[in-house]
Amino acid sequence: MAKKVLVVDDASFMRMMIKNILQGTDYQVVAEAGNGREAVDMYSEHNPDLVTMDITMPDMDGIQAVKKILEIDPGANVIMCSAMGQQAMVIDAVEAGAKDFIVKPFKEDRVIGAIKKVFNE
Amino acid sequence: MDEQYLQMFFDESDEYIQVLNENILALEQDPDDKDVINSIFRAAHSLKGMAATMGFDRLTSLTHKLENALDKIRNDELKLDTEMIDSLFAGLDLITSIVNDIKDSGEELTEVQDYVDELNEMIASHSGEVAVDSVISNTDNADVSVANDVVLDLSNDEKEEILDNKGETDYIYGVLVELEEDSMLKSVRAYMVLKTAAEVGYIVKSSPTRDEIENEDDDNIGREIKFVLISHLAAEELENELFDIIDVQDVKIDNVELDFSEVKKNKAEKSSSSKKSKSSSNKTNVEVSPTVRVDISKLDTLMNMVGELLINKTRLEGLKLEHDTYNDIIGQLDRVTMELHHVVMQIRMVPIGGIFNRFPRMIRDLSKELDKEVDLIIEGAETELDRSIIDELADPLVHLLRNAVDHGIEQKDVRKEKDKPVEGKILLKAYQKGSEILIEVEDDGKGLDGDKLAEKAIEKGITTREDVENMDEREKLHFVFAPGFSTTEEVSDVSGRGVGMDVVKSVVESLDGQIMIESEKDIGTRFTISLPLTLAITQALMVKIDDEIFAIPLNAISETLTITPDRLKQVRGQDVIVLRDKTIPIKEAARQLNLDVEYGKYKELDEIPVVIVKTGERLVGLVIDELLNQQEIVIKSLGKYLLNVEHISGATIVGDGDVALILDVRNIA
Repeated sequence: MAKKVLVVDDASFMRMMIKNILQGTDYQVVAEAGNGREAVDMYSEHNPDLVTMDITMPDMDGIQAVKKILEIDPGANVIMCSAMGQQAMVIDAVEAGAKDFIVKPFKEDRVIGAIKKVFNE
Repeated sequence: MDEQYLQMFFDESDEYIQVLNENILALEQDPDDKDVINSIFRAAHSLKGMAATMGFDRLTSLTHKLENALDKIRNDELKLDTEMIDSLFAGLDLITSIVNDIKDSGEELTEVQDYVDELNEMIASHSGEVAVDSVISNTDNADVSVANDVVLDLSNDEKEEILDNKGETDYIYGVLVELEEDSMLKSVRAYMVLKTAAEVGYIVKSSPTRDEIENEDDDNIGREIKFVLISHLAAEELENELFDIIDVQDVKIDNVELDFSEVKKNKAEKSSSSKKSKSSSNKTNVEVSPTVRVDISKLDTLMNMVGELLINKTRLEGLKLEHDTYNDIIGQLDRVTMELHHVVMQIRMVPIGGIFNRFPRMIRDLSKELDKEVDLIIEGAETELDRSIIDELADPLVHLLRNAVDHGIEQKDVRKEKDKPVEGKILLKAYQKGSEILIEVEDDGKGLDGDKLAEKAIEKGITTREDVENMDEREKLHFVFAPGFSTTEEVSDVSGRGVGMDVVKSVVESLDGQIMIESEKDIGTRFTISLPLTLAITQALMVKIDDEIFAIPLNAISETLTITPDRLKQVRGQDVIVLRDKTIPIKEAARQLNLDVEYGKYKELDEIPVVIVKTGERLVGLVIDELLNQQEIVIKSLGKYLLNVEHISGATIVGDGDVALILDVRNIA
């Protein structure tokens, strides 16, 4: 069965990017969120198998959102979407329990690779 | 690149540019506002991400540089002064210019290197440090022997640590993990390698250390991670675990034999590495509802269809059937179409702030250039207007504001002489009044001089001295709108850019709006633009003139009345009536429209129906044949061939399917 993915990024451009990369794979984007707060709500609502999480977002940033999501579901699979120069924050996120990270600009094989790793596929 | 991406890229870039613009301005007002700096940072960061994804290298490096600077400002490492703000603005201009390049030609044409160098210098001079941004050489070691140097360097304390933590069946490994060359954020990868290792064992020592990984610049982290690990796993299993991490290219594991004789004597207590947690607290509870982006042309279509629906509803009503169900259906239909119309209008409405927001920057730059001090006050940015109107308004407002700074506000010394505050004030204000939106541009400058304007108009052959003699101040002021009229001798590069006030006026009128001037010497000038809320559908009074039905938009009507012929007075050969102490000229609609009928017959009627309409600030009584009813009309353009029919602004379809012309009363005078 297709895995459910929640895409979180404040730029709809980036969300579309990930959606298009995942198109035609076994990973189906079931919901999108534009900030951390929305992401947490959406997580409870859709209970996705995987979350791609941007870091720099208004309202609630990705790091806090990861922490909140892991509080709700300690088994949550979260992949951070980061840009160059955000290592400290990504480390925070990984420490908090994020499974992996991908770096913008996204490369299709990297994104898929990271997701596959999360599911041990 | 995919068209779809590009469009989205443009849309969002424009938004971020706007955010940058607003917030840099805000930052100038309050350099200590961390929220503002964070907003700027986020916008620059998001732009960088998008630009990198689209492969726009210059934009990427530019935004990256800006992001660096902003990060330093955020952390108080960089002093924020006017120079720095100017530099941020300059960067923003470059961003805008690059985005425009891409829009125009699909390529980045604007050079950014000079600016990046400048910014580097700025960062250096403002932080007292040398800017380190050039590429730091990777510490790649060609000989990938083994992790032996880490192992060999073990101190006695570390050996002791090993002894304390090593179980009976544990192995001690010297491990070297090599990351792929194009691996990004190597520090995080290194962190993940160490984290994975820590899950299956105990890390005695690593290079880079955890501290280095967390605190060093990413560029300073090489491809190699070396560590000494105590683990119960067999070398092979450990290797598998490590290879499982993305970007790991190679793993080398050595068994380490150590001589513990020296350290066995001592026992020391250990403290395990304490976890470090950095969390940024940022609590704001803003509910954001999800939004959808829609092509404006779809909304136009929707609006048209609502219009069609409305026309047919009106036609249906016109049948006037005697049937209960009929009335019921008509009632329902009426409600639904009203609601639908309302919703569609709402969707098309956007806050005028969208165009206001760019003005503070413009005024700032302009007043600097002219060495004037100007405070721009914006009120009512949240006022909503139809999107299509707003797009058209930007240029006229730019022109009015530029004029206000250039011609309105005086030079500082002049203001001092006049006992005015040195800082001039420009008020840009939008508000709704009835079914109209009013936008005012007001300055406290030198004001317009009607007589001077009139002189100039005569000089330019726009009018004659005889005409001017009969003119009041208001009419003289309106010369500024005359084509070919410019108020300054020398065309300055600020205001005289080919767009004259006549263009401002014609744009406003093309939007069914009006523009008015009030001015007082040394007090200031106020331009007021009034616009209909929306263009497509409006309430109108239906009247009959020469057996034809005409529609007069309600927003142009002051009142309707029926007068008896004895109330008509004559002033200089013009019929007038006195209404509540005001003298109002009476004009015959048929004559205004050049209809082929005998004029003046109304004077023979016992009761004359008159519609008092507003033209500019003045009222005119329009004699018509019959008042019919009030109804919603859908405004249809007459098409470009009939664009300039005097006093007719469009047409609409009435209940019985007939076409009624819409009167444009603005120029009836």
